[in-house]
Amino acid sequence: MDYGHPLLLGTFLTPTNDRPQAPVELARLSEDLDYDLVTFQDHPDQPRFHDAWTLLSWVAARTTRIHLAPNVLNVPMRPPAVLARAAASLDLMSRGRVELALGAGFFWDAMAGMGVPRLTAGESVDALREAIDVMRGIWAGDAGSRLRLDGEHHRLAGAAGGPAPAHNIPVWVGGGRPRMLRLIGETADGWVVPGGTASLRELAAGNDRIDAAAAAAGRDPREIRRIANVSGRFADTRDGFLVGPAGQWVDELLPLVVRDGVGTLVLATDDAEVLRRFAAEVAPALRAAVDAERSTAGTAVGSVPSIHVRVRRRDGVDYAGIPAGLREAAVEPGDAVYPTVRSGYLRGGSPGLVLRVHDAAEVADALAFARRQPVPLSVRSGGHGISGRSTNDGGIIIDLSRMNRIEVLDATSRTVRIEPGARWGDVAESLHPLGWALSSGDHGGVGVGGLGVAGGIGFLGRRHGLTIDHLRAAELVLADGTAVRVSETENPDLFWAVRGAGFSVGIVTAFEFQADEVGDVGFAQLVHDATDTADFLQRWGAAVEAAPRDLTSFLIIGRPREGRVLAQTMTVVDSDDAETILARLQPLANLAPLLGQQVRITPYAGVVTAPEGAHEGQGEPVSRSGLLEHLTPGFAQDAARLVASGAAYWFQVRAMGGATGDVDPDATAFAHRSANFQVVAMGASPARLDAAWDAMRRHFTGLYVSFETDTRPERLLDAYPPRTLARLRDVKRRYDPENVFRDNVVVEPSAGTPSAGTPSAGVELRAAVPRTGAVTRAVVERGASATMPE
Amino acid sequence: MTDYGHDLLFGSFITPTNTAPDRVVALAQLSERVGLDLATFQDHPYQPRYLDTWTLLSWVAAVTERIHVAANVTNLPLRPPAVLARAAASLDLLSGGRLELGLGAGGFWDAIEGMGGRRLTPGQSVEALDEAIDIIRGIWDADDRSRLVVDGTYHRVDGAKRGPAPAHDIGVWIGAYKPRMLRLIGRKGDGWLPSLSYVASLQDLADANAIIDEAATAAGREPRAVRRLLNVGGQLTHAASDRLLVGPPEQWAEQLAALTIEHGFSAYVVMGDDPATLTVVGQEIAPAVRALVDAERGTASGPGVPRSAN
Repeated sequence: MDYGHPLLLGTFLTPTNDRPQAPVELARLSEDLDYDLVTFQDHPDQPRFHDAWTLLSWVAARTTRIHLAPNVLNVPMRPPAVLARAAASLDLMSRGRVELALGAGFFWDAMAGMGVPRLTAGESVDALREAIDVMRGIWAGDAGSRLRLDGEHHRLAGAAGGPAPAHNIPVWVGGGRPRMLRLIGETADGWVVPGGTASLRELAAGNDRIDAAAAAAGRDPREIRRIANVSGRFADTRDGFLVGPAGQWVDELLPLVVRDGVGTLVLATDDAEVLRRFAAEVAPALRAAVDAERSTAGTAVGSVPSIHVRVRRRDGVDYAGIPAGLREAAVEPGDAVYPTVRSGYLRGGSPGLVLRVHDAAEVADALAFARRQPVPLSVRSGGHGISGRSTNDGGIIIDLSRMNRIEVLDATSRTVRIEPGARWGDVAESLHPLGWALSSGDHGGVGVGGLGVAGGIGFLGRRHGLTIDHLRAAELVLADGTAVRVSETENPDLFWAVRGAGFSVGIVTAFEFQADEVGDVGFAQLVHDATDTADFLQRWGAAVEAAPRDLTSFLIIGRPREGRVLAQTMTVVDSDDAETILARLQPLANLAPLLGQQVRITPYAGVVTAPEGAHEGQGEPVSRSGLLEHLTPGFAQDAARLVASGAAYWFQVRAMGGATGDVDPDATAFAHRSANFQVVAMGASPARLDAAWDAMRRHFTGLYVSFETDTRPERLLDAYPPRTLARLRDVKRRYDPENVFRDNVVVEPSAGTPSAGTPSAGVELRAAVPRTGAVTRAVVERGASATMPE
Repeated sequence: MTDYGHDLLFGSFITPTNTAPDRVVALAQLSERVGLDLATFQDHPYQPRYLDTWTLLSWVAAVTERIHVAANVTNLPLRPPAVLARAAASLDLLSGGRLELGLGAGGFWDAIEGMGGRRLTPGQSVEALDEAIDIIRGIWDADDRSRLVVDGTYHRVDGAKRGPAPAHDIGVWIGAYKPRMLRLIGRKGDGWLPSLSYVASLQDLADANAIIDEAATAAGREPRAVRRLLNVGGQLTHAASDRLLVGPPEQWAEQLAALTIEHGFSAYVVMGDDPATLTVVGQEIAPAVRALVDAERGTASGPGVPRSAN
C-alpha cells in the first residue's frame, strides 16, 4: 500500500572514527547533493565508531538544511529523559532538523559489558515504550509541570517538562518482530525497516501488522512513515538487487515506494561516488517515476498529522485548507512549539492556528484564508499588545515575527526600512553602529509593527517626537489583499491613518522611518521616597516640563509597602556629556529623599534591549490610559489616592511634550499633540480599577490607544477626537468596510455611535503580570559611568 | 604560598539558556575571538530552560577552531560513564583535541531522581565518581590490552572494549568543596574546579589545596599534577575597590596574579555572560596577568607560545 508520503531520500553513513572528520565530510556532501536526511548508526559499545549523538550534533552545526537522525539510537544506553532534552536542544539549535529513530538494543553481550542491565527481547520492547512516553512527556510538558511516570524500566518522579523542540520530532522505531511492530502501530511516527534485502521482502507483512495495530489504536496508518535502508552498487550490467545501472535502481526502488509504502529511502554507503551517482542518476528519475505512478493511481500525497495533533484542533478552522505556502511554518495546538507562540507578553491565548508569514504575499494569503474562517483574527508583531490583542481563543493569528529585516535605504537621509516583526531592541542595536536611533517605547521587546502604527511614546520623545512622526512611507496589505504603498504623496489618506490607527486599516509589512542622529545617552534610574505621592508627582511633573527637550523621564509608582511609597524614575538625557547629564538630572534628584541611583552613559540600544524567550502571559491585562497637559494638584491628589488604594499594581507616567507637540494634530491619526504626559494604570480587577479611574478622567484630554483595554464605546472618542474619528471612519469605509481589522480598538466603519466589538471587559478575571525587565535591568556596564552627587 | 607553575588559562562560563541558542553559541565564539582559552557550560540535565550541555559542547566545538570546551561540570549521575567516555573521546577526536572533561558528583538529588536517576548520599556519590573515573580512564586507555573490569558498587563494566584513545590527554577536572572529594581529586583528578562564590574565604581555598596536595602525595603523585581552576564572578568598574574582582582591569590583573602566585590557581573562568567583560578579560586582563605572573616566576613566555590546556 502506498501511504502517499512525499518521498524523502537520505544517506546512512558509517560513523568510523579512524579519520574523525570523514563521516562529517560525507554528511556535508549529502547536504550538497540535496539529500533530505543524513543518518548514523549508534553503537556506544563499539570503540571504532563515534558517539552518535556527538557526531549528529557536530554535523548539525556544520550543515544548514539537511535533517539528521540516528539510525537507530541505542536507547538502553541513554537515559531517556536526558535524551529527550538533548533531542529538543539539538532540534532548537538546528531549527527543527532532528528526527529521532530509536532502537530497543541488539548486541546485549556488548551492552552488558558496558554496564547496561540485560533485558529479554520482550522486556526491551516494554522499556522502549516507556522511554518513548518519557521523551514525549518531557517535550510536551512545561517548566512548571512535575512529570510522573512509574514504569518497569524507566521512571519520571517529578521532573520538570520542556523544552519544547522546534518541531514535532518524529519518533521512528526500528525492529521487525511482532511485538515491536505492534508498538510502532500503536504509538510511533515511523517504522525503520530492519536492514537487508530479505527484510525488504517482509515489508508488506510488517506493514499489515503495523496498520492493524494502528487501526486498533484509532490511528490512521498514514500517520506512520516507513523508512528503509538500502544499499547497492552501480554496475554496467545487472547483477542482483540494486547491483546494476541506474535505471535498474529506479525500477527496483519504485515498487518499494508505490507498492510497499516506503516514504523514506536511506542509501547506506560511504562511497562518495555512489552518493553522487545516486543523487544525479537515480533520485530525479525515481521521483519522477513515483509522481507518475501516484498520479495514475490517484494516490493522495501528503502527510497525515498524528492523532495527538488532530485531536487538539479547534472548530471553525479548515486545517486541510491552509494554503500550501503557509503550511510549513503554521503552528497548531498539537505542535511542539505551540506553547511558545500561543500567548503574548501580557495576555494568555489559545489560538487555533498561528500562521507565521515571511513576506507581503504570504500576509495576503494568510489574510484571505483567515477571512474565510468564522473565527477571530489577530495580528502579532512582537506580542506585547495590550489593546491590540495579538492572540485569541480558537482563532487565527497572523504572526509577523519572522518578517524582521532592518535595512538602510538611504544613508544621507537616514532612511531605514524595517519590517513589522523586528523588535525595537533589535532596531536600536542595528542603528547604533551608524550613530542613529529611533525613539520607540520603554521596552526593547516590543514589536515594530504594533507600536509603529499606534504612536510610540519613547525615551527620546521630548527631543525627537513620537515614533510615527518619523514614518516617511509604509507598505501595507489591505483587507481585500491588495498591497499598497503609502506616503505623503501615495495614498495619503491611508498614510494619515497608519500613523495612529494603522491597526484598523491594514497589516503593515514594511515601514520606512527616518532615524535621528543619536550618540550615547545618559540613562538614570533613580528611586525616591514618594510617600507624599501627590507632592512628588506634581514636583516631578513640573521639573520635567521645565527641563530642556533632551531630557525624557518615565515614572513608575508601585503599591505602598509598609506605609511607604517608592517612585522609580527612568530618565534618558540625550547627551554623552557627563556634566550635561548630571546637570539635567540634578533637579529630579532633589525632588525627594533619594533611596537608590544608577546612572550610566550607554548607547540607546543599552536602554531598550530585546530580551529572549517566549511570552508566558496569562489571563487578560486590565490597563487604563490617560493623556494630560500638566500634573495638576487635582490630578496628583487623585493619582495618589489611586496608588494608596492598591487598585493599580502598576502606575506609570511618561513624559511627552517637546517635539511631540510640534506636529499638527490633524497631520496624523494621533491627534493628542498638546499632551505633556501619558498616564497608565494596570490593575487586577477592572471594576476596582475603573472605580478609581473613571473619577480621574476629568483630568484627561484623551487616551493613548496602546495602553487601553476598556472596551466601553466612549473610549473610542477618548482615543480619537471627533474630527479625527470621522476621518478615520471615512478611511475605514473605503478600505475595510467589513471591519476585518478589529483586534485592537474597534473602529466601526459605519457612522453612529462607536461600538465595542472586542471581547467584553467582563472576561478580565486574572491579573496579567508584566515582566518588568525595564525596572530591574542589569546595570553591570563597562564604560563611562557617572555617580550622582549627593 | 604555593604556585604550581602551570601556564595560565582564561575562560568563559556561559549560561546555556535554550531560548536563544544563537546567543549562547555566539558568546562561545566571542570567547575564542577575544583570546580566551576555554568556553565552559554548566550541566543540569533536569533544568528545562537549559540546552543539553553535551549537545551544546559538540555544536560549539564544531563552529570554533582553537578554543577548548568543557562542561562546568558534567552531571555524572545522569550520564552513564562508559558512554560518556566514548562521547568525550569522539568530541576530542572531532575537535582535534579541544575537549576537557569537567566532572561533578551531582548535587540536586530531588531533581536527579525526578529524571529517573538514582538518589545517592553525598558519600555514595563520591564513591560513584571514583568508580566512574576508573571506567572513563579505562575506556580511553586504548593501549592497555587487559580486560576492562570495574566492579563498582554504582558503576560496573565487565569486558567493555577499550578505545578510542582521545586526540589528547583530556583533563579530568572535578568540581568539589568537601574533603572526601578533594582527596579523590588528589588521587585521581587532573584538575580542581571550584567556584569562588561557593567558598567563604581565601583561607578555605588554601585549606582545600592542602588536602588535595596531601592526597596527591600519599598517592605517589606530584601536587602539580592537579591544575587548580577557579570559576569567578566580578564586575568591571572605573573606580578601584577593596573587593575581589570589583574594579578596573588593572585591579583584576593584580588580584588574579596574586591568586596564581599565592594560591596556586592557574585557570580563571569568568561567569556573567557579559560580552564586554569577556572581551576585556581576554584582551586586557589575561595578557596583564600573564605578564605579572611571568615576572614573579622569573620566566618569560613570549606571545605566540602555544598553551596546552593541561
